[in-house]
Parts: sequence; C-alpha cells; structure tokens
Amino acid sequence: MAKQVTLTIDGKQVTVPEGTLVADAAKMAGIDIPVFCHHPKLEPVGMCRMCLVEIGRPVRDRATGQFVMENGAPKIQFMPKLETACTNKVEEGMVVLTRSQKAVEGQKGTIEFLLTSHPLDCPICDKGGECPLQNLTVAYGPGKSRFLYDEKMHLDKQVPLGELIWLDRERCIQCARCIRFQNEIAGDPVIGFDERGRATQIVSFSDPGFDSVFSGNTTDICPVGALTTSDFRFGARPWELQAHASICTQCPVGCNTTLNTRREAKSGGRIVVKRVMPRQNEDVNEIWICDKGRFAYHYTEGKQRLTRPMIRKDGKLTRASWDAATKLAAENFQKAKKNFVILASGRLSNEDLFNLKSLAEHADGKAYIYSHMGGGELTSLVGVGEGTNFGSMGAGTTIVVVASDLYEEAPVWYLRIKQAAARGANLIVMNARETKLDRYASFTVRYAYGDEVKAVSDLAKKGKIGDTFLKSENAVILYGSDGLGVSGSAALASACAKLLHDNGFTGRPNNGLIGVWGRANDQGAWEMGFEVEEDLAKAFKGKTVYIAGADPVADDPKLAKALEGAEFVAVQDVMTTATTEIADVVLPAQAFTEREGTLTSGERRVQRFYPAVPVTGEAKADFAITSQIARHMGIVLEGTSVSAVFDILAASVKSFEGLTYARLAEVRPQWPIVGRSDLYYGGTTYENTQGMGAQLSAAAGRGEKVSIPKVEKEALVRPKEKELLAVPVTKLYDRGTTILPSELLHERIGEAKVILHPETAKSLGVEEDQKVSVSFNGVNGEAAVKLTDTISVGVALIPRSMGLAIREPVAVKVK
Amino acid sequence: MSLAEKYPKEVKQILAKYPPEHKRSAVMPLLYLAQREEGYITKAAMQDIARMLDISETDVASIVGFYTLYHDKKEGKYRMQVCTDLPCALRGADEFLDNLCANLGIKVGETTPDGVITLEAVMCLAACDKAPVFQTQGPDGIKYHENMTVDKTMELIEALRKSSA
Repeated sequence: MAKQVTLTIDGKQVTVPEGTLVADAAKMAGIDIPVFCHHPKLEPVGMCRMCLVEIGRPVRDRATGQFVMENGAPKIQFMPKLETACTNKVEEGMVVLTRSQKAVEGQKGTIEFLLTSHPLDCPICDKGGECPLQNLTVAYGPGKSRFLYDEKMHLDKQVPLGELIWLDRERCIQCARCIRFQNEIAGDPVIGFDERGRATQIVSFSDPGFDSVFSGNTTDICPVGALTTSDFRFGARPWELQAHASICTQCPVGCNTTLNTRREAKSGGRIVVKRVMPRQNEDVNEIWICDKGRFAYHYTEGKQRLTRPMIRKDGKLTRASWDAATKLAAENFQKAKKNFVILASGRLSNEDLFNLKSLAEHADGKAYIYSHMGGGELTSLVGVGEGTNFGSMGAGTTIVVVASDLYEEAPVWYLRIKQAAARGANLIVMNARETKLDRYASFTVRYAYGDEVKAVSDLAKKGKIGDTFLKSENAVILYGSDGLGVSGSAALASACAKLLHDNGFTGRPNNGLIGVWGRANDQGAWEMGFEVEEDLAKAFKGKTVYIAGADPVADDPKLAKALEGAEFVAVQDVMTTATTEIADVVLPAQAFTEREGTLTSGERRVQRFYPAVPVTGEAKADFAITSQIARHMGIVLEGTSVSAVFDILAASVKSFEGLTYARLAEVRPQWPIVGRSDLYYGGTTYENTQGMGAQLSAAAGRGEKVSIPKVEKEALVRPKEKELLAVPVTKLYDRGTTILPSELLHERIGEAKVILHPETAKSLGVEEDQKVSVSFNGVNGEAAVKLTDTISVGVALIPRSMGLAIREPVAVKVK
Repeated sequence: MSLAEKYPKEVKQILAKYPPEHKRSAVMPLLYLAQREEGYITKAAMQDIARMLDISETDVASIVGFYTLYHDKKEGKYRMQVCTDLPCALRGADEFLDNLCANLGIKVGETTPDGVITLEAVMCLAACDKAPVFQTQGPDGIKYHENMTVDKTMELIEALRKSSA
C-alpha cells in the first residue's frame, strides 16, 4: 500500500495515499473543489484556474529538517497567492482552505473570466441541465458580470470535427479535456488546438475527421456544451430523460451502459431511446464506451422490427397468433426427432440460450452457436475466473494478445490493456500484421498467416520473450480470429490453453484464456454447452432448423442455399432479415432494450440488463418463446420469469454455481466518484447503482482435473499462381444487422473492401479505391481495393460481414 | 514529392540533431524547411512531416496554428510585419502603417496584386527604441528593418519587386 499522508482541508483531517492531488483528496473527503480542466482519469494541467485555493505548508527548520512549532502546533506558512488544487500533490501537515474569502474571490474571478467569451445560450444548449459550467457558475460564480454582453466573442457554432462529433466554438472554454483524453487514454491524438489566445479552437486534421473509435467519450467529459454527438444533438433536454441500466450488446467486453429514454411526440408518442451513455464499472469499462456501443442501438427501434408472429401460407408469410405459430413450430420440431437443429447467436441472453439448449437436449436435437470462432469450450476449462480484472494487472503480469486486432474487435479491452502495459504489465502482441496495440507492446511476434499455432507453441522457448512469459506471476492470453476460421481458431485456442495450463497460469485471478468473440454473449453460449459447426450448410440440409438471433441467409449465399433445402425453418429475431424472409414461421423477439436478462462477457463476468422501453408490438422475450414452443412439445421450460430461469441455470451449469440474480445487482463504492451531483468532476457518465455483475468460476479454478485436447494441425491453404491468400479479419463497423440501421455510422462502415499490400496491388495492376472482382470458393463479388504496408505481400485481407462471405483462409483471385 | 526527397541533405541533418526516441522534436525545423520555398506549409507537407516523425497530422497542424511565423495559406512572397505595440505606437508606428497602406493601396492583412508583399501588424518585435520597425519574412529568412520611414520602405519594396520579377 502506498504511503499515507494526512492533511487538513477546511478544518477536516484527511488521510490519503501519497501522490494524491489536493483536488482529489478533497473529493475523497466529500469536499467539493470546483474544476473544469481537471479530470481524475487524466494527468493534471492546471489550465482553467477554477480550482484556486489557499494552501499552507508546515515550516521546517532548515538546519534540522524538523517542523517549526508555534503554540504547540506546527507553524503553517501560506503562500502569498492562490494555488491550483489540481496540480499540487498532498503533503504531510498541509492545510488547504477552499472556502476562505481569498479562495472564493479567486473562484468567482475565474468564472467571470470564463464567461466573457461564453455565449450563455443554455436555453438552447444540449448540455443545459447537466452542464458543469452552468452548475459551477450558479454555485461559485459572482452572479453578475462586469463585462459587457455586447462585447462577447462570437465564433462558429456548428463545426463538424467529423461526422459523429460537432464543436460549438464559442461554448468551448479550452480546458483540453478532450485533447488529453485522446492523447493519454485513447492513444489517438487526432484532435488538437489551433491558433492561440482568444482564437484558440479545437481542430481535427485526420481523415476521416476525429478518427477515433472513442470519440463519443469526449462529449461526456466536456464540461460545457462545446462537444456534442450528431446522434443526440438537439435531441432532448437532459431533465426529460429517464435512465435505465443496461449492458452493451455489440462485443464481448460487456460495457455497462445507461439508456436514456423519453416519451416524445416526434416518435408518435412512444417512449424511445435517445442516447446510450457509459455507466461506471471500474472492473469492466471504467467510465468509457466505444462509438459503436454509443451509436449502434438504432436497430432496436428501426422500421425493420418484427411486431407479430407469422406463418407461411401458400408461399407467403401471413399474420398468425402466438399459439398457432408456436404450435406449428413445435409440431415440426417434434416430427424432426434427431433431425432437429438449433442455431443461436451470442446476441441472446444467458436465459435464452439456456432454454434453447435445454430444448435441444430434451428433443434430442443439436444446438449450435453461430460463430466464426471455435475453441470456446476451453475458456470454460481454463478461462479467466473470479477476481480477474484488467484494471489490477500491472508489473508481474503478462498479457498475450494473439490473432486479434483489439482496437477493432473489442475497443475497451484495447484501452484497458494499453493501461495495464503502462502500469508495467508485459504485453506480447502476436499477429501476422501490424495492429494498433503493437505500439504499447513489450514484445511483438510476427508470424505468417497459417503459423498461429506454431508461434504460440514456441512462445515459451523464444529466448527473452519466453523468459518474460515463464517468469511472470500471472498470465492471460486473449486469442482471436484474425485470419482464422472455426477450426483454425479452435486449434489456436488449444495451443494457448496448453501453454497456460503447462505453466500454471490457470485457476487463479488474472490468469487464463480469453476469447475475443464476435458477439456479446458467445461466452455464455459456450458455458451452456453450445457447439460450433464448421460446415453449417451440411448441418442444415434436409433438417428442421430453429434459428434465433442470426441471419445466415444474408451472411453467406451457401447457407442461404442450404436453408432452401431444409425441411422446415423457424426464425426468431428482433427484426426482418433475409433469413426471416425464407422462414416457414417467424417469431418476433423483444430487443434487449425492452426486457431484462443477463449476458456473460469475454472475461466471464455475468451482468444484468434492465428494460428501458415498452415492448414493440406482440414481441416476446426469446426465452419465453422457446418455453412456449417447448410446452406444445410436452417439455416444461420456465417461460415467465428471467430470474427463475437464472436460478435453474445456476443450479445446472457448473460455472454458474453459487450465483444468484440478486448478487449480480450488487454494487461496491468506486473511484473516481461520478454521478449526477458530480458532473463537474467525472463527467456525464452514469454512476452504477444497479449492479457490477459477478464472475464465473473456471474448471481449473474449481480444482477439477483439466485435460487439454491435442492441437489439431490445420491444412495450410496454398494459393496457386495468380492467386492470393485471402484471410478474414474483423472491423469494428461492418454491415451486420445490428449496425446497419444506425445511419450515422454508414460513412465509417463504407463499402466491401479487399486490403492489399502496395506491392501486391502493383503486381496485380490495381490501384487504391479501384473496384475489383473477387472470387474464391464459389463466391464472386465486387470490392474496393485499400492499400496498407502493414500486411504481408501476397495476402488479401477481407473484412467479415462486409458483403463477401469469407469464413476461413482461402485462395482468392482478384481482378 | 516528399520533403525527404526534395531536401535529403537538410532533412537528414535536422533529424540527426535529435535522439531517435525524441525525433518529434524535429517538427519545428522541418516546418521551416517546408515553408522555405512557397512561403507557406501545404497540407501534404504536414502529412509528410507527421509520418516522418510518427506523430499525428493534427499535432503538426496545431504547431503551425500556434506559432505566428508558420503560415498555412499562400500569401505574398514577402510578409512585411510591422510592430504596432504601445512603445512603437508612441514612436509613430500606427501612422507609418497607415501611410504605407495608402502607398501600397492595400489594407493590413492584404497582399499587393503582384503577389510580392503581404502587410501584417504584429505584436512586439523587441526593438521599441528603433521604431517604426518591421521584419520581412521571405525565402531568404527573416530580416529586421529599423528606424524606417515610408520612403525608405517603398525603396525596399521596389528592390524586392525587382528581385522577384
């Protein structure tokens, strides 16, 4: 534990760790010192001068170094001028006066100065109502200004920094919180100050503008209404909004979020989601979320939402009752016997997946997870477990990231690992190409696509890198699917699990295997015992298929064809997709915003989400639909209460043992303090009052015997002459069904791409942005060429879910 | 053409002055180099420098924006920067500037039609005792002109025009 220092703030004795800043020490003691530029997550700069206080320090005798005593107490010497509480560190015996006459005058003066060039357009400002400048002006300002209103600075009010974030120049008070966030935390220094003095303004010269997936966070920590998102700008007043705790469903990180809703005439009198805000969970996402999580919620309210059950009659989908639709499904499922196949995606909650898996077991069918990645069963064996937290990793811990571009696949993990590396953790980044995380790595290992398993198996033997890994106290490995299909990633998982298991890096906090999955609850599906099937087309042919939360028809023409040849297809989803179009029965499911449930993150943390808006049409929760179908088949599955399903699940799935629905809702005090009464300090991030979740145990942690399956050697793909090796990669913004309805992201999503090395392009005779035809394995499509020298020559990167159905490494022809 | 291709020797020399881990410190001399020919720094040059020093383009642009002697727009070949701070004003700098404007037929901040001179008013040039004073910023660097009169200035401008023709 760090050395403790005791000081006095406004007459109150405060003991805090050495190195704490006076402003933070006061906050810990419940004393508010007003700040604008200071933020507890950022390095101090002392730019705004709002936190002026009187600071006195005990006088020391120069000869002896002892405190000089006066009337039995150390003599305190105050500085002649005010000092900033945000740049001074606490000292033993320090005396701080935050509300003395001198300090109050200083604070009043600063507010008066700041307002000389601020428009005071609070009545039309998006921040009005949750604005630190507004709040602190009322609390600490002089009430009246001596400056003439007519002489105010007037500057541009609508400056797009990119298409997602807008700047109002005259509201900006130049605190640089946004610039510092981008530099220090996001590691994307794409905004900065231009000009100087009163002309100072925030600019972005990147292409696209404000090119960072964390840009939305700057609007949360902006202490004025200068930065706003194009999503919420002019959307609503903060005081009209209701707050509902939720979990982001876009990636396996499981960021805690708050959904702000209101009833509005604009939406036909419905209650709708107006914005997604981060909710503090220092174990998961701290107070940040990525832009995909912030902006990709629109599908829940899109025109494509399914509102009622439908049955195919005479080749056309026609409206049906729930009873008729579920009965039809049940009859066909029962008839199918062993030919019954369930395909579920990680978009569903634990409870939904549990009921689906139970149905498959009772009906003697198969339950597959719709995933491009394998190896998940190993994360249940040697995965990370209770007590694992990137926030507590530092010196002594090794973090290995293999075959994953975390910035694109799980942005908040990228942030957390970057910080762990800054605290002294050894970061080993292994990939066939350069990724953004390389910049923070202690070691990078470059292999050729196809050599992933070998690279991992040889890691411990690799001289200095191996030594570092073996000598660590703790080690985690995050494995992904960059350039890998189902069997390739499964083989990689085995190699990683073996490396961890053989060297004792399992069964303890901050040790184990993490999968960088494609969807939010893939981990939950693995825990439930779902399997991944590499050849889904074969698995569908002639079978009775029950698809929940997945759109294979749009993703892959081969699967579309296979489903045409299926006996019967029931599709359960929140919206109309290419797959519901071909279904025999369509079952409308509730969006995650309309219901409650739990999700299991990649770190195996189970977290609760809560209903925020009323249900659309006749939609039902997935677990309830499955239960209704099961009942027609004579199978009893809980279908009314999520918490009851969770109880049954916790009693039957070993890793969930001991968890209760109530325990997931428990919270602990967190630092920094954020929340509605502390907007000026932590930003507009919501405080966590509805649960920080709980982690699952791993088999290794329960002391069970663990055996890792032998690593299966993958057959290498060898491109012939005039062919390239095409590998699938994941991009944050793709054409997935849950992203595309968010129109504001379309510019970032772009078109189908094939990414080449400039030399490869040269030998093919193609140029940047040129449209080329791409053909592999019977797939033919068009894509735009993008060039980068961060990949190898002879390789073509094809992003998943962008129009070209690539599932694994293949030989490709580009023309 | 990139800066390193255009001025290989100078770029190498500038980069050699800083340890590789602090190469971002070379940003200011490289910007001067980029500005030398055209009198302003192009967006391409900023991108080029950002790539060379492994910093973001926004970082480079911020530096150009902060310092008054870097320019990001094409103006006259020579920038005539007249100090109009208080001590200079007391020695007649305002009147000098007004007369100069009248003689050149342009306002402060404007460029002569032949593209040779851009007239600017600036803060302290640290030569109050020799006011009226201005500096010219051009392809041959920055030069001071002290104790100036309008006539002397017009002579200088004629000479600059001749050499530019």
